[in-house]
Amino acid sequence: MEDYKFLFKVVLVGNAGVGKTCLVRRFTQGLFPPGQGATIGVDFMIKTVEIDNEKVKLQIWDTAGQERFRSITQSYYRSAHALILVYDISCQPTFDCLPDWLREIEEYASNKVLRVLVGNKIDREDREIPTHVGEDFAQRHSMYYLETSAKEAENVEKLFMEIAAELMEQARSKELPRYENNSPTINGRTTVIGDSNCCSRMS
Amino acid sequence: MTSTERIQSTVLSLVETVNINGNMKEEYEKLAQEEEAVNLRLESLFKRQCHIEGKLRGMTKVLPNLQIVHSDAQQLAEMITFTSTLAENVSAKVRQLDIARSRASDCQQRVHDLLDLQLCAEGVKASLHSEDYEKAAAHVHRFLAMDQHLLEQTADIAEDCTNVTNSFSLLQDAASQLRSVVNLRFDEAVRAEDLASVERFFKLFPLLGLHDEGLEKFSNYLSTKIADTANGNLKTALSTQASDRRANIIFADTLTLLFEGIARIIEIHQPLIETYYGPGRLLRALGPLLRECDVQLRRIVAELQRCRRLEALAQAARAAQAGAGPRAEGEEAQEGAGGEVRQLDPALGELAIAHARYALFERFLRRRLAADADAGAATDADRRARLLEVDAALARGDTCRRMQELLSTYLGLERLFMVQSVRKAIALDALDDAGAGAAGGLCSSAVDDVFFILRKCIRRAASSGSLDGTCAVINNAGALLEEELCSALRARLRQGYPSGYLDLTQAYNSVLAGRLQPTDSEQQRVLFLAALNNADSASEYVETLVKQVSDEIPVSTPMERSKLDSCLHGLSSSTSGIKSVLDYGIQQLRASAVKPRVGPWVDSFQSVSHQLSEDEFTAYEADQPFVQTLVRNLHGLLENFKESLTPGNYDTLVTILTEEVTIHLEKAVFKTSFNRLGGLVLDKEVRALASFLTSSTSWSVRDKFARLTQMATLLNLEKVTEISDYWGSSTGPLTWRLTPSEIRQVLALRVDFRSDDIKRLKL
Repeated sequence: MEDYKFLFKVVLVGNAGVGKTCLVRRFTQGLFPPGQGATIGVDFMIKTVEIDNEKVKLQIWDTAGQERFRSITQSYYRSAHALILVYDISCQPTFDCLPDWLREIEEYASNKVLRVLVGNKIDREDREIPTHVGEDFAQRHSMYYLETSAKEAENVEKLFMEIAAELMEQARSKELPRYENNSPTINGRTTVIGDSNCCSRMS
Repeated sequence: MTSTERIQSTVLSLVETVNINGNMKEEYEKLAQEEEAVNLRLESLFKRQCHIEGKLRGMTKVLPNLQIVHSDAQQLAEMITFTSTLAENVSAKVRQLDIARSRASDCQQRVHDLLDLQLCAEGVKASLHSEDYEKAAAHVHRFLAMDQHLLEQTADIAEDCTNVTNSFSLLQDAASQLRSVVNLRFDEAVRAEDLASVERFFKLFPLLGLHDEGLEKFSNYLSTKIADTANGNLKTALSTQASDRRANIIFADTLTLLFEGIARIIEIHQPLIETYYGPGRLLRALGPLLRECDVQLRRIVAELQRCRRLEALAQAARAAQAGAGPRAEGEEAQEGAGGEVRQLDPALGELAIAHARYALFERFLRRRLAADADAGAATDADRRARLLEVDAALARGDTCRRMQELLSTYLGLERLFMVQSVRKAIALDALDDAGAGAAGGLCSSAVDDVFFILRKCIRRAASSGSLDGTCAVINNAGALLEEELCSALRARLRQGYPSGYLDLTQAYNSVLAGRLQPTDSEQQRVLFLAALNNADSASEYVETLVKQVSDEIPVSTPMERSKLDSCLHGLSSSTSGIKSVLDYGIQQLRASAVKPRVGPWVDSFQSVSHQLSEDEFTAYEADQPFVQTLVRNLHGLLENFKESLTPGNYDTLVTILTEEVTIHLEKAVFKTSFNRLGGLVLDKEVRALASFLTSSTSWSVRDKFARLTQMATLLNLEKVTEISDYWGSSTGPLTWRLTPSEIRQVLALRVDFRSDDIKRLKL
C-alpha cells in the first residue's frame, strides 16, 4: 500500500542548460552535480513531502531542453498538474525563448495546469534579466514567479513546496485527480468536466 | 489598674497564648515528622555499616598485593624495552642487507642492460640489413625498455665509454630509421591493399613506442574499408526496385549493414589490438571508425529523408489535421488524409527498425568499450574516469545526435499517424453486425479499430528500442482516447435517445439491411446504444491494452520500469474519462427511455382500489392484475434492450429501471388508501416486483426495494401498536430506511388506523 494521499505530476521545461536537472537534483537529492551532461529524453524522480500533515507524492519529470527531444517531452505536458518553465537569469536568449515555450504549453498542456516561471542561477554575478522583467512577464501570462539558485540551494525547496501546497489546495476543491489512501485509481480527472446540458447526476 | 482593665489584659494574653499554642502545635508536629525522618535515615545508615566494614576489611587484605603487582609491571616494562631494542638492532641489519641486495640486483640489471645494448646494437644492424623488421623492432623494443638515462651515467663511469655511447647512438638511429621505415611500409601496404602486410606492420608500431600512431593509422585504414562498403551499399539501396521485397525498409537495411560492418571489424580486430597494444586502448582505436560511421550515417539518413519524403508527409498530415477537425468530416479531406496516412505507415515501420538497429549497435559499442575500459583501468578512480569518457564519446557523436533526431521525426509522424487513423476510424464507424447478439450487445467498429491502431503504434514504438519513445507514444495514446474517442462518443450520446415506439430489433435489422428506409429516430436509437456499448467496452479495452503493453515491453532497470508504469498509469486513467461519458449516456437513456415509460405504468397502481373485502381480495389475489401487467411491461422493455446492450450496460439499465420503478411506486403508494387486506396485497405486489427485477440481473437490486418493503410491512400491520415489534430495541437486523415522520405518514394511509393512535406512537 502506498502511503500518500495525493500524487502530482510536475514537469520542468525550458531551454537547454538553464539548470532544470540541477533544480531537480537539488530538491530530490540535495546535490548540485557540477558538469552535468545534457539530459536525454526525460528523467523522472519521486519525492514525497509533507504538507499540513498530509503525505504528498511529487512525480517530477525533468525534460531535455534540446530541440530534438521535443516530440518526447511534449507528450508529458497533457497529464502534468504543474509546469515549471525555467530560464537562466544570466542568459538573455533563454528568456527570449519563453514565448515559444508558452505557445507549446498552450498547445499541449491542459488549460488548468499550474504554471510557474523560474529564473534560475541567481548566484551568478553576470545577471542579464532584472527581477522585475521576469516578474512582469510572469504577471502578464498569469504565472507564478520565483528566482532560484540550484547551486546555493536558494528557493529550491520553497519552489516545490509551494507548488505542492497549491496543487493540494486545488485538489481539495475537487478539481484534480485524487488518489485515495488504499486504492491507486483516480476518481476524477482534470480534463473531463460534466457537460453543460447534462441531466442530473446519478445517485 | 482597674479590675476591668486587668480582666481585659488577661483575656488578651489568653488569646495570645491560644494563638501561640496553635502555632506550637504545628511546630511540634513538624518536629515530630522530622524526627521520624532522621530516625529512618539513621536506621538505614546503621544497616549499611556492617556492609561497609566488610568491604574495608577486604581492602586491607588486598593492599599488600598491590605492591607485588607494581613491581611485576615494572619488570615487564623493562623486558619489553629490552626486547624492542634488540629487535630494532636485528631488523636494522636485515634492512641494510635488503638494500645491499637490491643494489646488487640493480647492478646486475645494468650489466645485463649493457650486455644487451651491445647485443641489440649488433642485432639491429644485422636485421635491418636483412630487412627482418620484426627482429629489429624487438631489439629496439628491448633498448627502449632500458633506463636510458642510467645507462648513460654508467657509460660515463665505465672504461670503454666509447663503446657504450656508440651502441647508444647506433640504436637511437636505428629506432628512428625503423620508425620511418615501418610508417612507410604500412602506408605502402595500405595503398597496395595488402592486408597481411598491413597487419604485419601494425604489430610493429607498439614495439617502437608508437602506440597512438599505430592505432590511428590502422583505424584510418579500416575506416576507408567501411566507407567503401557503405558507398556500395547505399548505391545498391538507391537502385533497388520498388517491387523488391525489402524496398520498404531498404534504408533501414543499409543502416543495419553499416552497423554490422563496424561491429564485425571491432569483433575481428579487438583481440589483435589487445594482444599487441594492451587493453584500455579500444576507445582511441575506434575514434576514426566512429567518425567514419558519422559520415556514412549522415548520408544514409539524408537519402532516407529524401526518398521517403518525410518532410512532405509530415506537412501533408499536419495540413490534413488542421483542415479536417475531429468532427468536420469532409469526405474529400478524409480521403486526402487517408492517402497520406497510408504512406506514413511503411515509413514509420522503417524508422522504427532503423532506430532499433542503432539501439542494438549502441549497446554493443557501450558493452565493448566499458569492458575494455574496465580491463585497462588501474584504479577505481581511473575506471570511473574512463567509463565517463566512454559515455561522453558515445553521447557526443554525430551518430547519436542524428539518431535522436530521427527518433524525434518518427515520434512526430507516429503521432500524426495515430491521430489521423483514429479520426478515420471514428469517421468510418460502422455498425458491427457480427458482434451483435453473440458477444452481447450492439457495437460499432470504431472502438475495435481505435484500439487496434493504438496497440499497433505502441508496439511499433516499443520495437524501436527506445523506452522514451515508447512512453511518448503511450502518453499520446492516452491523450487521443480522451480527446478523440471520448468526445466522439459524447457527441453521439448528446444527440439523445429518441423516445417513441420501441422496436429495436426491427430498427436494427432495417438499418443493417439498408432496406425499409429506417426512420431517423430508429437509426439514432441504434447509434445511441452502439455508442453506449462502445463506451463500456472501451474502458475494458484500456485495461487490456495497459496490461498487454506492460507485459510486452522489455525494461532493463527498475528506473525504466517505474517510468513505463507511470506512463501506463496515465493511459489507464483515461478510463475515468470514458466512464463519465458512459454515465452521461446512461442518464440520457434514463431520461428519454425509462422515465417516461415507467411513470404511466406505475401510476395505474392508483386506479386499483386497495380497500378490499375478503371476496375482492381472493379475486384480486388470483390474477394480481396490476403487478402482472407491470412485470409484463418491464419485461418487454428489458427484452428490447437485452439483445442490444453489453452485459455491463444491461445491468446498469436494470438498476436505473429499478430506481425509477421504486421511486414512482413509492409516490403512488402515498396517494392511495389501504385497509388491512389492501396492505397484504401491496406486500405481495412488492415481493413479486422485487423478485422479477432481481432475477433480471446479476447485480443485487434488492437493496433498492428496502423502503417499499418496509412501507408494505407497515401497511400490513394488525394494529398500530404492533409497530413496536419492529421499532426501537426490537428492530433486530432490520435497518429502517424510513424516517419516523414517514412512518406516521404511511400508517395514516390505513383507513382503519385512528390518527390519535398514530400520533401517540413513540418513535
